Amino acid sequence: MNKKIKQSLAIVTAAALAFGLGSVSTASAATKTFSIAYQGPLSGGEASTGIDEQNAVKYAAKLFMAANKGYTIKVVSVDDQGDPAVASTVAPGIGANKNILGVVGPAYSGATIASLPYYKAGGLALISPSATRVSLTDPTSPDFGGPVFHRVVGKDDLQGPALAKYATAGVSNAKVFVFDDQSAYAVPLRGFVEAGLKKVAGATLVGGDSVPNTTTDFSPTVAKIKTSGATVVIYTGYYSQAAVFIKQLRDSGSTAVFAGGDGVFNQEFPKLAGAAAEGSKVTGVGGLAGISAKLEADFKKKMGVSSGVYSVEAFDAANIFLSGIKAGKTTRAAMLKYVNAYSGKSISGNTIKFNKNGDISYGLFAGFTSKNGVLVNTGIVK
Amino acid sequence: MFSVLIDQFWSLTIAGIALGFIYVLISLGYTMVYGVLRMINFANSEIFMWGTFGTVVTNRDIFHYTQTSEPAHGFKLALVLITSLLMSMLVAGLTAVFVEFVAYRRLRMKGTNRLATLISAIGISIALQEVMRLLTSSRPVGSPRVLEKIILTEVWGANIRLDTVITIIAAAIIFFILERFIKLSRMGKAIRAVSQNEDAAKLMGVNLNRVITTTFLVGGLATGAAGFFYITVFEYTKFNIGFTMGMAAFTAAVLGGIGNIRGAFFGGLTLGLLEVYASAILGTQWKAVTVFIVLVLVLLFKPNGLFGEAVQTTRA
Repeated sequence: MNKKIKQSLAIVTAAALAFGLGSVSTASAATKTFSIAYQGPLSGGEASTGIDEQNAVKYAAKLFMAANKGYTIKVVSVDDQGDPAVASTVAPGIGANKNILGVVGPAYSGATIASLPYYKAGGLALISPSATRVSLTDPTSPDFGGPVFHRVVGKDDLQGPALAKYATAGVSNAKVFVFDDQSAYAVPLRGFVEAGLKKVAGATLVGGDSVPNTTTDFSPTVAKIKTSGATVVIYTGYYSQAAVFIKQLRDSGSTAVFAGGDGVFNQEFPKLAGAAAEGSKVTGVGGLAGISAKLEADFKKKMGVSSGVYSVEAFDAANIFLSGIKAGKTTRAAMLKYVNAYSGKSISGNTIKFNKNGDISYGLFAGFTSKNGVLVNTGIVK
Repeated sequence: MFSVLIDQFWSLTIAGIALGFIYVLISLGYTMVYGVLRMINFANSEIFMWGTFGTVVTNRDIFHYTQTSEPAHGFKLALVLITSLLMSMLVAGLTAVFVEFVAYRRLRMKGTNRLATLISAIGISIALQEVMRLLTSSRPVGSPRVLEKIILTEVWGANIRLDTVITIIAAAIIFFILERFIKLSRMGKAIRAVSQNEDAAKLMGVNLNRVITTTFLVGGLATGAAGFFYITVFEYTKFNIGFTMGMAAFTAAVLGGIGNIRGAFFGGLTLGLLEVYASAILGTQWKAVTVFIVLVLVLLFKPNGLFGEAVQTTRA
């Protein structure tokens, strides 16, 4: 009941925001004002991810406006709480608001699927910085997002094997225990990790579990890990749960290697878990700080906060739309065509070019190891 | 299937009892208020969540522990633990009284029906949660490790850890004190009188408002103590942890017989053990399914829970 009420409140605010800001941009269209939207969780349990991504979008807009005088870029906030049920109620308003030329997002795969019908109908180009579910760019799936959906992040079928490889590196005859948090992100990723393990020489899968993402007592899972004799434990859920879990695993006396995917990839993870996190291995995408310290310092100066997860991806996605605006693509149809044919550089140095299903050509995952309370980039997992 | 249970039986049992005691203390918050007002205090889950922050703030901001600092020992350890326990109880107790003033008292005075207070309780629980979300920028908060999790001894292959031992013993003591308070003190008698017959109690000169506020306070103190133990064991909190823990504790209260203090005790322990055993045998994904199947079965045969709803008789 509690959640329902919150959802409907969120819908009302999101709708008000969308329409309110939309009308502002109409009024001032003559002074070259354009709107792009960011959609992701801006309130609720997943809000930190969305706020981080939206900050990167706003940062990109700020840099663009500073470099191109005479343009005003409005970033419309679309809060879907990362929840498909909320997304399906905020998306119609955004789909119908023709002032919005493109959407950076949606951040989460489930929310993306729920939003897609409205964006397809509106011909609105989407570039997600973080929706990694494979089915979104699979033309044979009902979830297929083409031609409007694009993403600047590698898919989970690339991440799974990379995570399997990175987790077991340096462990001979690894006995691996894999568990998920029952979310739509973690369950398929676990499948790709398990598939990837088959290709790792000497590694065997010795057990698994599926733990609700609200769990804080992991003692049954720890008991299973001890019974299975696992030397490597892989978790495909998110960082906050991972931090609670790793403490309990270490407190039980286990010294098994712990590894997680990009859901665990967050500098908050070693901060939350403290000493227990030391040596943990995480695959993820490098943030702005990984690109250059100077960029991160500038971000902090302009935005007042540090950059977070998927900041590179959100920044890249926003820049594609901004370069479209600069190239005079100021209708949705022109923008969508522009994005589909786009070819340009990511700030990570890779070339962004979408294939016909909306995926980028690269999907490189970096490996990070926790050292002295910080996840340190150890390079691309090969 | 049963290999994990056999191999790790005692580890699981101890973990289940420690978790069970946390449930016991939270379910006291539900049961006390229900016993007196015949209403579910839906804000109790958020009172618990605020309680956990009492301990985190004490460790982090009063005693300046950080994630990298050494755990405390000896006298300092006792001082920090007791201060944070009292702080959590204080924060949760005051929050509970605040909830009573804002969400219950005025509506009760106006003689509105019960559904109105139900909604206002849900309203205030959303407000409590959202305020904490804004204060913590939606992020999870880790508590520094103050209590080193030393393995005291090994019994039947299970590690007996200091934090679980402290949780079990201290939670049992707190439960016992509160139970005695209700049973023996003058105020406890007044609480029981109101729960038996509100009108008769009023005629006997019982100050109804004071009794209800005290009930919320005592329930809040127990719930706050649960927050302290939760942090001691799991060292983690977030603005949204209340829902899951509150739901579990409410289930425990219903399982034992809501409104019944002894019921909360056995309901909490049963639930804690049931959860870890079910997770170990069937897989954690079956935990909630098992718990609620057991709840439905119990309610089928004993509609008032294991120990019945008869607050008046069991408390007397």
